[in-house]
Amino acid sequence: MAGVVTAAPATATGPAAVPQGPGAGAVPWLLLMPATAALVLLFVLPIGYVLLLSFTDPQVSLAHYQRIFAVPLYTRILFNTFATSLTVTVICLLLAYPLAYVISRRNDWISLTLLICVAVCFWTGFIVRTYAWLVILGNKGPVAAVWQGLGFGAPPQLLFTSFASTLGMTHILLPYMVLALYSVMKKIDPNLLRAAASLGARPNAAFRAVFLPLSLPGVVNGSILVFTICLGFFVTPILLGTPKDMMISQLVNQQIEELLAWGFASAIAVVLLVATSIVLAIYNRFVGLDRLWG
Amino acid sequence: MVMALAILVAIFLISPILIIIPMSFSTAISFQFPPPGYSLGYYQAYFTSYDWLQPTVNSFVIAILSMAVTMVLVVPASFGYVRHRFRGKSFFNLLMMSPLIVPHVVAALAYYGYFSMARLNGTLPGVILAHGVLAVPIAFLVVCATIKGFDRNLERAAMSAGAGPLRTFFYVTLPVLRPGMMVGALFSFLASFNEAVVAIFISGRDAATLPKKMYESIRLESDPIIAVVSSLLIGAVLIGVVTSVVFRRKPKNVP
Repeated sequence: MAGVVTAAPATATGPAAVPQGPGAGAVPWLLLMPATAALVLLFVLPIGYVLLLSFTDPQVSLAHYQRIFAVPLYTRILFNTFATSLTVTVICLLLAYPLAYVISRRNDWISLTLLICVAVCFWTGFIVRTYAWLVILGNKGPVAAVWQGLGFGAPPQLLFTSFASTLGMTHILLPYMVLALYSVMKKIDPNLLRAAASLGARPNAAFRAVFLPLSLPGVVNGSILVFTICLGFFVTPILLGTPKDMMISQLVNQQIEELLAWGFASAIAVVLLVATSIVLAIYNRFVGLDRLWG
Repeated sequence: MVMALAILVAIFLISPILIIIPMSFSTAISFQFPPPGYSLGYYQAYFTSYDWLQPTVNSFVIAILSMAVTMVLVVPASFGYVRHRFRGKSFFNLLMMSPLIVPHVVAALAYYGYFSMARLNGTLPGVILAHGVLAVPIAFLVVCATIKGFDRNLERAAMSAGAGPLRTFFYVTLPVLRPGMMVGALFSFLASFNEAVVAIFISGRDAATLPKKMYESIRLESDPIIAVVSSLLIGAVLIGVVTSVVFRRKPKNVP
């Protein structure tokens, strides 16, 4: 592995400079080799190892997969993960759309400030933001203080509930949705809306007939992005949620941390990977995976 | 109406983050807002605590070296991918993108098992290699986009003026592409610096990163130093974002 790393700079500098025609011999392979070797050795093989463990640990069988889909506890976790991810995606979309709309349609200090809010949020780590919600929803936090201040008595248990976990995940994934929408919306030509208005369309009608359809690619991209990240969300559900409404990643963590059940944990991870891949494969079939992160 | 909604959503986004900052000057022992009193006590505690400084140093070392790993892999690969036609091109693209497709828990479990065989768990090289590979897709997207936008006539002009391929590369190609590559490098640095899940699984005690230390401190004890660390991180992000937005007016794209 060290060889791969040290060998690369040579290929980075020399041959890259020569403009080669299509299909020119060994040069592309030299350029592609280090990355290919590293990804196979340090990514594909580890994932393959998990796949292998899921069938072979402790003995060769399909028992782990049968258990996941037969035991109601686990099917409920699968269902809960999908339902939570869907909820988070829908809420994110509803909240992000007006924000992205305003940022993309205006070009003043307001849109700049809003954009800064989104970007600061985007670049602040998941853990920091999860910690923020831990403080806000905790029994000494501002919500509890306001509750007691209004004379409602003892504050309700907010932390370690699926509400807290859903709220935290929504907050963390919202910037992804805003930026996905924004990158599509800012390319919509404002003249199209003016044209609609000049032809007699009221603002609402112009929005529905022109802007909304043109923004749909952003809606799809943002939703896929948020949904797939949410399926495998780890830190926030563990720190804010409850074991009663577990998500898949919590189950993986529990199986490894508490039980060291490698085979079963691997099988759950494979199910999560397959579920994510199916969502992305459908997206790839109709839109093309390259668009998702573009 | 839409405007008011947008501002409300932005407040929802930013206020939880800003609430942390007064927390860090608190005198309270546990997570309490509003703070009962203010002091710099926990800042002092952070800057004298080996338990927190060690992960901080680890995080920087890991992020810088994994950024180097990522760029060493990505720069040649991007040139090869953009400028050449070869068989299995879309497959290669899928391979480069695969760390973005696989959920991080799955990758974390995979590294935890795989690295235990190579005795890389709980070591800096282990985390550096894992983070270096995980940041490949982001850097690849950025660097490829930069190379695609490069006008190759500049190279042809340099060559026709008598520069050799190496000279052309170092005096023409590289200087033009440098800003894009810096962005790719910055993104991969931040990807490693913010990465929590894989670090939680594989970084162990000695190679623990800041997110891992924060995660454990939240889970095991309500250590108020975490408010200090979070505030410092938020401050850094605020400065970075405001300067890049105000001075360049170049909005950030989703990586």
